[in-house]
Amino acid sequence: MAKYLLKRFLYMIFVFFIVSILMFAITKLVPGDPALKMVNQQLASTDPARYQIALEEARESLGLDQPLPIQYVKWMGNILTGNFGFSIQYKKPVIEVVGTPMLNTVALNLCSLILVFAITIPLGIISAVKKRSAFDQAVQVGSIIGYSLPTFVIALVFIYLFSLKLQLFPISGSATPGADYTGLRAFGDYMYHMALPLIVSTFCSLGGILRYVRAAMIDALREDYIRTARAKGLREKVVIYSHAFRNALIPIVTIITSWFVSIFGGSVVIESIFLWNGLGNTILSALRNLDSALYLAMMMFYVVITLLGNLLMDIAYCIADPRVKLQ
Amino acid sequence: MSKNKKRKSSLTLTIRRLFGLPEKETDILKEERMQSPFRTMVRNFVTNKAAMFGTIVFLLIFCTVFIGSAIYPLDINAQDTTQQNVSPGFDMLKIPSALKNNAQDVSVGSVFAVGVDRDGNLYQWGKLTDKLKKMPDADRKYVQVSAGLNHALALTDEGKVVTWGNDRLGLANIPLEVKDATDIKQIAAGYQVSFVVTESGNIYYWGNPNALTISIPEELQGQVDKVVLNLTTAFVLTKDGRVVMLSNSATPFANIPEEIQGNVVDIAANDRAVAAVTSDGQVYVWGTNDYGLFEVPAEVQGKAAAIAGGRFHFTVLTTDKTAVSWGNDTYGQSSAPALTNVSSIDSGYFQSYAIDENGNLTGWGLKGYLFGTDHYGRDIVLRMLAGGRMTMTIGAIAVIISTILGVIIGGISGYYGGWIDNLLMRFTEIVMSLPFLPLAIVLSAVVGNRLSEVGRISMIMVILGFLSWPGLARLVRAQVLSAREQEYVTAAKAMGIREFTLIFRHILPNVITVVIVNTTLAFATCLLTESSLSFLGFGVVEPNPTWGNMLNSAQSSDVIQDMWWRWVFPSIALSLAVISINLIGDGMRDAIDPKSNER
Repeated sequence: MAKYLLKRFLYMIFVFFIVSILMFAITKLVPGDPALKMVNQQLASTDPARYQIALEEARESLGLDQPLPIQYVKWMGNILTGNFGFSIQYKKPVIEVVGTPMLNTVALNLCSLILVFAITIPLGIISAVKKRSAFDQAVQVGSIIGYSLPTFVIALVFIYLFSLKLQLFPISGSATPGADYTGLRAFGDYMYHMALPLIVSTFCSLGGILRYVRAAMIDALREDYIRTARAKGLREKVVIYSHAFRNALIPIVTIITSWFVSIFGGSVVIESIFLWNGLGNTILSALRNLDSALYLAMMMFYVVITLLGNLLMDIAYCIADPRVKLQ
Repeated sequence: MSKNKKRKSSLTLTIRRLFGLPEKETDILKEERMQSPFRTMVRNFVTNKAAMFGTIVFLLIFCTVFIGSAIYPLDINAQDTTQQNVSPGFDMLKIPSALKNNAQDVSVGSVFAVGVDRDGNLYQWGKLTDKLKKMPDADRKYVQVSAGLNHALALTDEGKVVTWGNDRLGLANIPLEVKDATDIKQIAAGYQVSFVVTESGNIYYWGNPNALTISIPEELQGQVDKVVLNLTTAFVLTKDGRVVMLSNSATPFANIPEEIQGNVVDIAANDRAVAAVTSDGQVYVWGTNDYGLFEVPAEVQGKAAAIAGGRFHFTVLTTDKTAVSWGNDTYGQSSAPALTNVSSIDSGYFQSYAIDENGNLTGWGLKGYLFGTDHYGRDIVLRMLAGGRMTMTIGAIAVIISTILGVIIGGISGYYGGWIDNLLMRFTEIVMSLPFLPLAIVLSAVVGNRLSEVGRISMIMVILGFLSWPGLARLVRAQVLSAREQEYVTAAKAMGIREFTLIFRHILPNVITVVIVNTTLAFATCLLTESSLSFLGFGVVEPNPTWGNMLNSAQSSDVIQDMWWRWVFPSIALSLAVISINLIGDGMRDAIDPKSNER
């Protein structure tokens, strides 16, 4: 196991570098000069000479005057030492920019994760146990529709229903504008604004996970030890929750870890519709404003998260099922 | 007789074979033994209600989109400021029954029409805004009406002008001269302006000063007989039969033919050309020759009595008391019905109306839009057809790219194993660890901006294709790995069969079913991804429509609430398409894998 993890880790580092070169190359393809955004544009008309100097200085400070391989090495060195660059959009170091959005994204997705599993696990178990009943059929149809519907369609429908018709929740944002709440009030306001994006992101994930839980449970219920347990005369409840469900948990655990990525990554679509100040929205605005330092750092963050998620999935699989051996 | 019977049975046999049905009714055991695996799959699929439902819905959508967009091609740059945000429905020609046989005057607005009957009652129909619905007093009697872009004017029998509808941009501020006037002859409502002409030949106007650049020369006052408007300017017919343009711009509208001056009895303006009827019944047209506006129908020349103009068409009342239209015929506004005893006509925007001597009112032209129009006045149905074709084409090509890559890479990796397998699988994992949506957004933002429209669309197909193959490659690799170890492969190898034949005849058929299922489900995913990208503004961009980017403009709360047709219809189409494809994919998976059938 330790050997496997080490091998895996080395391999992760290899992938990380390959992807970072790719990302860096793509970023350098972006049309537009990021130095232009750092310089006062009015200077161009009033004092062209000083404007040129300022532009050169900005280029130099961004390291744009050096050849690409050196730029890459410098950038990589900076990243590895924790310096993610300077966001020209916010005029702040990247590390300061992403703090709040990351908290927001994690808050939203963690709540959504908890809700999704709180709903899907009981529903999946019931529909697996009552396979082919009317309830199961309804769940099946509902889950297919649920995972087929595009996120933005669900978001539009829910905004229409909950924000505009029933006027239950605010349409967008993460705090009441102008209000300066503190303590519990602020938390309440935050949750109030999170409600609709939370409902939408939960709803969007229900279908897929529900099908997964149901399939895992059905597979577990077909095993021989279930027949043995029933033959022993155990109560059906014990058979289902103690024998079947524990074994069904193995694939479910792995899918939870695969959510690791989305907890940090956030949904670009949901965050942009609800103007939720999360990572997805941050990368969108970074792209729209050609803030290369910011989106490059975020892309690398996504890559690290994905790699870590894969590793975590393997380990979780190993822990959940002792029969699995990692090599 | 027996021969006949035999032929018939062979025909049914062919049909039965075609649909994978058993050739003869046998008992279950025999049947099971005789069925090929493929036939079992087809049978499983056909008996699956959900899957068949999905197939039918998808085929319907597919045919509608591809055939529909071929029959009704979309001009992607077509826009119309006068037709913005029109709600769905075909009620724009629905004349109220009380007015139908008793009409006195009628006037066409952008998406509504106003009429007055011979008893002086006002009527309006079509797409009415909330402000338009607040009609003026019903206890007064009206003699003349005029409808504009989103406001209307009416003249009472006491000679007073009333206005309703849009009251912004100064449209509600009727000038004092008009309020005091007792001899009003003509009222005209246009694009955010209102005009009034008096019997004494004076002309007044009010409304948005920026909508039209108009200057009325001082010497014209007292001379005016009639005024006609289009979206950009206005023309006056003087009492001595001359045509005067009320702005000094050097547009083609200014090329008024000199030979008609002093001889004109009626004028009309549309947004491409101006037409004048002279006293000898001839029609002269000047301006821009779009939609065949200069080709005045031969039966009109020499017989024209009065003329009216819409947005891109003209209608003439002849001395034979018939109505003739020509010009743009997109909505049938230039296909005048054969009418007799017509006494007056009116054209506006995309409609025309004629009133005969008995007061019967007939209308032709734009009835409405099936799914309404968007914020640029574009017909949503046409955009949905073209957009659906675009969405499906992009999804299909992306899926083909990813399937080819996935099968080749997974197949090579699984079949050859060893260091090739290792290398390819590491490559697969690198692609898998690329964050999909952010990377797709970066790529389309980076590379897409440098490309033409077509280049950008192909770019999106390629991005989607190149980022979504790893899942399939892994699946194919696993299938090939397990197939490679089967006895029949060993047997085939032992017989000395060529490697090429071995792969394509023996291993591939065992993998292909998985590939097909995966491709179907990946198609649905590609539709969703493309739509999400376009929705965020990083996929296909305006003016090219896709179902995703049609929803891009529908994110504000007023659109979601008040202009529901702009997001509901594309959403339904996209959702139905994805649901049906997923149903098909699920059904195929169940049909192929008998084990999953038990689930």
